[in-house]
Amino acid sequence: MLELTGITAGYDRGRPVVRDMSLAVADGEALGLLGPSGCGKSTLARVAALLHTPWAGSVRLAGETVTGHRFRAPRHQRTAIGVVFQQPRLAADPRLRLRDLIAEPARATGRGRELADRAAALADAAGLGAELLRRRPHEVSDGQLQRACLARALLLRPRLLICDEMTAMLDASTTAALVALVEDYRKEQGAALLAVGHDRVLLGRWCDSVREWDGDGNPAGAELLTQE
Amino acid sequence: MATTHPPTPATEPEQPWHTPAHERRGTRKVRVTTSAALVATAVAAVLLVPLLFPLDQQAIDLTSRLLPPSWDHPFGTDDVGRDLLLRSVYGLRVSLTVGIVAALVAAALGLAVGCVAGAAGGRTDRLLMRLVDTFAAVPHLLMGIFIVAMFRPGVWPVVVSVGLTHWVSTARIVRAEVLSLRTRPYIDAAISGGAGRRRVVLRHLMPAVLPQAGLAAVLMVPHALWHESALSFLGLGIPAHQASLGTMINAARGPLAAGDWWPTLFPGLFIIIPTLAIAGLAGAWRERINPRRRSELVL
Amino acid sequence: MTPLLSVRGLSVRFRMPHGRHVAAVSDVSFDLAAGECLALVGESGCGKSVLTGALLGLLPANAQTRGSAVLPPDDQHAAPVDLLTVGERALARTVRGRRIGLVPQSPAAHLTPVRTVRAHLGETVRALTGTRRDALPPAVAAAAERAAFPADHLGHHPHQLSGGLAQRAATALALVGDAPLLLADEPTTGLDRDLVDRTVAGLRRHADEGRGLLVITHDLAAAARIADRVAVMYAGRIVELADAAAFFGTPGPRHPYAAGLLAALPERDFTPIPGLPPELDALPGGCAFAPRCARADAACAARPPLDGGVACHHATAPEAADA
Repeated sequence: MLELTGITAGYDRGRPVVRDMSLAVADGEALGLLGPSGCGKSTLARVAALLHTPWAGSVRLAGETVTGHRFRAPRHQRTAIGVVFQQPRLAADPRLRLRDLIAEPARATGRGRELADRAAALADAAGLGAELLRRRPHEVSDGQLQRACLARALLLRPRLLICDEMTAMLDASTTAALVALVEDYRKEQGAALLAVGHDRVLLGRWCDSVREWDGDGNPAGAELLTQE
Repeated sequence: MATTHPPTPATEPEQPWHTPAHERRGTRKVRVTTSAALVATAVAAVLLVPLLFPLDQQAIDLTSRLLPPSWDHPFGTDDVGRDLLLRSVYGLRVSLTVGIVAALVAAALGLAVGCVAGAAGGRTDRLLMRLVDTFAAVPHLLMGIFIVAMFRPGVWPVVVSVGLTHWVSTARIVRAEVLSLRTRPYIDAAISGGAGRRRVVLRHLMPAVLPQAGLAAVLMVPHALWHESALSFLGLGIPAHQASLGTMINAARGPLAAGDWWPTLFPGLFIIIPTLAIAGLAGAWRERINPRRRSELVL
Repeated sequence: MTPLLSVRGLSVRFRMPHGRHVAAVSDVSFDLAAGECLALVGESGCGKSVLTGALLGLLPANAQTRGSAVLPPDDQHAAPVDLLTVGERALARTVRGRRIGLVPQSPAAHLTPVRTVRAHLGETVRALTGTRRDALPPAVAAAAERAAFPADHLGHHPHQLSGGLAQRAATALALVGDAPLLLADEPTTGLDRDLVDRTVAGLRRHADEGRGLLVITHDLAAAARIADRVAVMYAGRIVELADAAAFFGTPGPRHPYAAGLLAALPERDFTPIPGLPPELDALPGGCAFAPRCARADAACAARPPLDGGVACHHATAPEAADA
């Protein structure tokens, strides 16, 4: 599904945050990427989500080589990946009501009408009632907002879901609920998952396999921990 | 260790709610109310006076030249016997209109340039910002004079001149804001959801910077008003026979030299007071956009 | 023993447009003693952060409070201070930093990016203790030492610090005024496990040295490691107040919500509590948890009081676990 080869990436003129990292997620596989904060795993997730242009290395998505990132990536490649970020407050446009937030990708791709029912169903599955959907981000809690952000990421039926520290800010019950929502979707669509995080117990319980990354931004010492 | 639990309060009579005092609120309220009242009065005056008192403000009456303030003429009369109160209101009408239109033109131009520069980045950004620097490097008044000098005197050259010299600051503010927003995860999320460049700019970036651009426009109204007055005072802006605050002060130079202060003072106050009032309102708006204490309710 | 902080019937509500009210905190009472760590846990939006704001006098302008949060008289202060009514000026002059130290949520963001740790500490030391300029370096060194902040990193700027060192720098700042009460607001959010362990150990040490420690967190694993007592908040109320050992070990939590929260941990059942917490502007008259509760019945239409450490009509009996 996703193949990252020899990725080196960084910001501006600084040291590379990610050095010569390779990673592959098979169709339908759930891979956990475990590492301490600041080790570059979020940057790698952004490269994988086609949101950050790497300095070197190649990204292959469903057999196609990715030729550009951000706006330069073709729309069908971008929308094949659903992304959920760590901080829902920053990942939600503060002016959009939750209803519009969830429907945003459908409207951006001109499928607003076609996917209206799916948006409503996803909101319902995420536990967001009609009253909450009328609110704006600053009027709901982190947990409620992250539920909406996850629904948004699932709207276009992505074949790969990237969750970058999706539950780091959330309590145990909301974490379990969001993970259950992701797993329901994966079961239904057979989608792959790249879950990035620092919680060994959580990733171990959630993913098929967990790849550990040492603190150096260097995957040389990375080992593969297979669960169950 | 035995756990101690505080006693559950029995059903005692409900205490009243306590509202924490916020000291600075009082003076701010006075400032905002005064500013709003002054702006409202000025706007009402320029809108209503021509309707309610359809007197010809241009009518010359040489028998009542340079009368000091009195009950008949609260602001006195000018050197050709025109009532200064009426003429000041007409002058404010012209100056305020020019100021507002010019500020809107400048803010719209600045918003467009700033958004495009910030969102596009790279070569486009560098090119536009060099243009901004070029405009900023030339003194406003000098360039304004240059622009009005290319046209026949009138209202529109002044609007164009003030608009073209003042969009620079808005463009910079908007670009900086867009640059800081551009890297937000919510823009990432929009891109990942398939949004194109145009949609991101129009739906996500532009609405976010609109309040800042609006504030810049409001703050620019007094500035534009002063520029209009300055150009007119120099004889380059509004034609001398048309009442504007600048032309009136220009015409009052002679009487002032002779010791007649009122033709200068009252139009001058008509420039200063609305300026302060608008600035006061804009300040309150800025505090709203940029709250220090208003952390909202963090749930 | 007299408590360091005594909260009684504390409620906070927000006035909203159209005469609505959001009841963020309702009728919260607890005591915090010296040398004790109380962890306040609950999901996001349960009112934890509003409670912190109320204790520090940092509520937004549309907030109203009721009840009391009293710092009792001690050696230096003859009269008790009610944090809710004492006013901003007194809080700034005599309470914040001097009697309550705040360990902030994201330490790196809490520090001014352009100033070194030494400058931060120096400023705080001067402001709180009035140390003269020539006596400042040893005082700063001592302050850093207390939070185990390495002296050779004092010249660093916040962005040059690792997450753990930034945390220690912020803790050092909180300790400068030698406040007997420390308030830690989500100290472990976004930190990885190693750092959580070190942060928790550092905070625990301050409690062991005799300070009172109030930790507000959604991280149950961290709470389990640090706390002597646990208060579980739900929809603005404390629904269970228990010994940490009993709560996290056997017999376990007694309130069904607390039990559900623990069961949701990935190391336990990993199953969420069904539903969402109620909205704080439309709280039900009865038990707020009843709509999500498997044990709910007709009795839950009346609000259960916090009785013997648990507010539930169907709480697991404490002796049940002894069997």
